[in-house]
Amino acid sequence: MKSRFLFPSYFRVIGYLCFVADIIKAMLLKVFFVGGFTQEPGAQLNIGMIVTNDINILIVVIGLLFIAFSKEKTEDEHFAQLRLDSLQWAIYINYLIFILCVIFINGFKFIEIVAYNVITPLIFFIIRFRWVIFRLNQSLKAEKARS
Amino acid sequence: MKNNIRVERAIKNITQADLADQVGVSRQTINTIESNKYVPSTVLALKIARIFGKPVEEVFILEEED
Repeated sequence: MKSRFLFPSYFRVIGYLCFVADIIKAMLLKVFFVGGFTQEPGAQLNIGMIVTNDINILIVVIGLLFIAFSKEKTEDEHFAQLRLDSLQWAIYINYLIFILCVIFINGFKFIEIVAYNVITPLIFFIIRFRWVIFRLNQSLKAEKARS
Repeated sequence: MKNNIRVERAIKNITQADLADQVGVSRQTINTIESNKYVPSTVLALKIARIFGKPVEEVFILEEED
């Protein structure tokens, strides 16, 4: 079966590298700029900060997309189905949490939540999809042990 | 839906991995079909039946609740 709109499977590695690189970068920033980049409220952001922010978001989003939507080693209809299931699952979970946040959180914290919401569907999707595949591999191993 | 894949495999003496290779799907998929967790598409069902040289109805059987 032809599966459409998927990246080649080695893109997953690139995705994980992007993600790890970003985490390392974040940790280095915490070490070298203990106070963070806080400025006076309302002050003009300096151009360096805007650029790092943009690159940051791009790396995270592209990395997550690569992890989420690259082909499995042997891609077939079952995986396509699982992918679709996981996507639905992720969207449900995401908006359930979002609704709870709308009800219980207000003010600036809420804006932060909305910002995180940009990437959480992908994260929930990846966790759920990987988990299903992990379970499949487990049952395959059990099957092998039996035969 | 039930299936006789396990029996048919035993008759032909091939493993799940062999069958997966011949049909062009992953081993996980054959495994889940065999344990009735996944219902294959018509195309895949036909391919599997062709490997065993039998009509689809002899490999995949409808059940009461289907």
